[in-house]
Amino acid sequence: MELQDIFYNNSQYIETASGNKVSRQSVLCGSQNIVINGKTVIMTDCVIRGDLANVRIGRHCVISRNAVIRPPFKKFSRGVAFFPLHIGDHVFVDENSIVNAAQVGSYVHIGKNCVIGRRCILKDCCAIADNTVLPPEAVVPPFTLFSGSPGKITAELPECTQDLMIDVTTNYYQHFRPIGKGKER
Amino acid sequence: MLIILLFNEMSLSGPQHCLKLKCSECLLNEVDSHYCPMCLENMSSSEAKLKKNRCGNCFDCPSCGHTLTTRATNVAISDPDDPGKSTPKKMYYMACGFCRWTTRDVAIDDKTVASGGWEDIENTHAKKIQSLLDYYHELALNEKAERERKKYVRRRSHLYYAASMDKYGMVTVAVKKKIGAMSNVSIKENEETTTQITTEEKISDFPALPDDFFTTPLELSKVTTITQRLASPEFQPTITNDLYPKRKHLLIRKSMRCKECEHNLIKPEMNPLSIKFKIQLVIMHHIPEVRLMAPMEFRFKKELKVVLLLINPVVHNTTVSLLPVDKESDSFSTAKIELPKKEVVLARRDDAAIYDDATQMHQEFKDEKNVVAFRKANKLGVIIKVTPLIQEGDVKVSFVLRHDYRNTAVVLPMENQEPQISWLQHRIFLNLGRIHKSK
Repeated sequence: MELQDIFYNNSQYIETASGNKVSRQSVLCGSQNIVINGKTVIMTDCVIRGDLANVRIGRHCVISRNAVIRPPFKKFSRGVAFFPLHIGDHVFVDENSIVNAAQVGSYVHIGKNCVIGRRCILKDCCAIADNTVLPPEAVVPPFTLFSGSPGKITAELPECTQDLMIDVTTNYYQHFRPIGKGKER
Repeated sequence: MLIILLFNEMSLSGPQHCLKLKCSECLLNEVDSHYCPMCLENMSSSEAKLKKNRCGNCFDCPSCGHTLTTRATNVAISDPDDPGKSTPKKMYYMACGFCRWTTRDVAIDDKTVASGGWEDIENTHAKKIQSLLDYYHELALNEKAERERKKYVRRRSHLYYAASMDKYGMVTVAVKKKIGAMSNVSIKENEETTTQITTEEKISDFPALPDDFFTTPLELSKVTTITQRLASPEFQPTITNDLYPKRKHLLIRKSMRCKECEHNLIKPEMNPLSIKFKIQLVIMHHIPEVRLMAPMEFRFKKELKVVLLLINPVVHNTTVSLLPVDKESDSFSTAKIELPKKEVVLARRDDAAIYDDATQMHQEFKDEKNVVAFRKANKLGVIIKVTPLIQEGDVKVSFVLRHDYRNTAVVLPMENQEPQISWLQHRIFLNLGRIHKSK
């Protein structure tokens, strides 16, 4: 079925020139370190920890409510170091998920209530099922679905995953529509 | 509410081939290459077979199944000459980041090298399994030789018959030649298999269980779970102290082939990281998609206008018509539908169209208002009328989608000819939603 319109209160969101829609109730720490490439939706109560390291999010991504995007750290003999987090294009992060990965490729779907452990690498065209816990330093190869705790490969994804994800994220952006008047900026 | 498009992949081909839709289940799957899901190293099938389809460098945790990571520590080694002095040395062990299991838990010594130092434990039954394998391999060879021989025997009987009727002595020569050739094939015609297997002794009685089996209390934390045991079928450790890191299973990249026309439909690139394909003929790129526009509330025997969304994935305009199916052959539908009688034209897909808002498309097509609900780029909303014939349950309809299809996949650009246009028909099954009994 075609996605139904999802309405948001226009005064609650900021729309940037490149088409990003960022909720005023989201927490973007260290916003000078956060790059969002355009047409990305960041919903209410999201946390993006740009104060720890650089965070780059591609085009047409959806970061759903209560999701946390947090750059990973590694312990060294002298203290800890944080690594930048890159998220590709057309990535969908569902509600209440915590992403601690080092790299999230393009066309990736992360389900609800997931924990993506420290320095995980999610390659292009992969998916994480709802309620999955990926332990630190896991690698998710393309065209695989991980689920369970600890996350394991449980299924393959179809060859047209890329087209499906493009369809989902662009449709989501088109159907994410404002109601009411915008606040004066 | 689901639009059931039953097929995932489709096969496309030229004159001598088929234009049928195939699902991934009814295609021939072929292994292209093996790779490790952790280090993503590519290897050929023969190498993978040699390594028993497991990675040489990556290990799984025997306790939880997550990948083990190598940890380095400094261990002080005391000097044998000078007992008071000790030198630090780097040692490596493996640990699981999820369940915190380490190789030190089961008293496996730390290694001096970061990778490659972990050898497999010897399977006590390896010899027996090998001898069985050899034996059955030989049996299979013998059986094959036997079959070959039978083939010749059948032919020979015809020849013998011909030889008995032979007037000129020509056939007898042929028979002799044939027999000579055949003796090479069945070398072991009357031979028994050379390798022998030792038959196992039948066990008639067991020694009684030792007393401490009943008296010592069971410590559940030291007993392995069923999944832990079955993860290494050759050892099946019963206590946690016997757990040993297992090598990671390989994954495959596969290509798919149509069983009928034997053309490749899916061929991925060799690199396991690549998401591109050398050949990718999937239905999403060729056949119009049918979606339900919005959820509806149905009532028993009440006609409702339902908007179906048709999406054109190809770069040509596609003419589509919706046709009814025979009432006799239709056991799926639970509602009566009225389909638009005229053909509709789906606009071509234009990737650049999303960047300009000008709607020139509307002038190009003359749409009737009672058939077309809206038109937007390559999408079209078609109105069908649905009358549910059930009081409660799923409202399901079925119809045939007929559309023209330009076979661009096989026509080479240099041939400079018009692509062949064919008409394809698909049966569409739609579940429009539930109907609830009115109170």
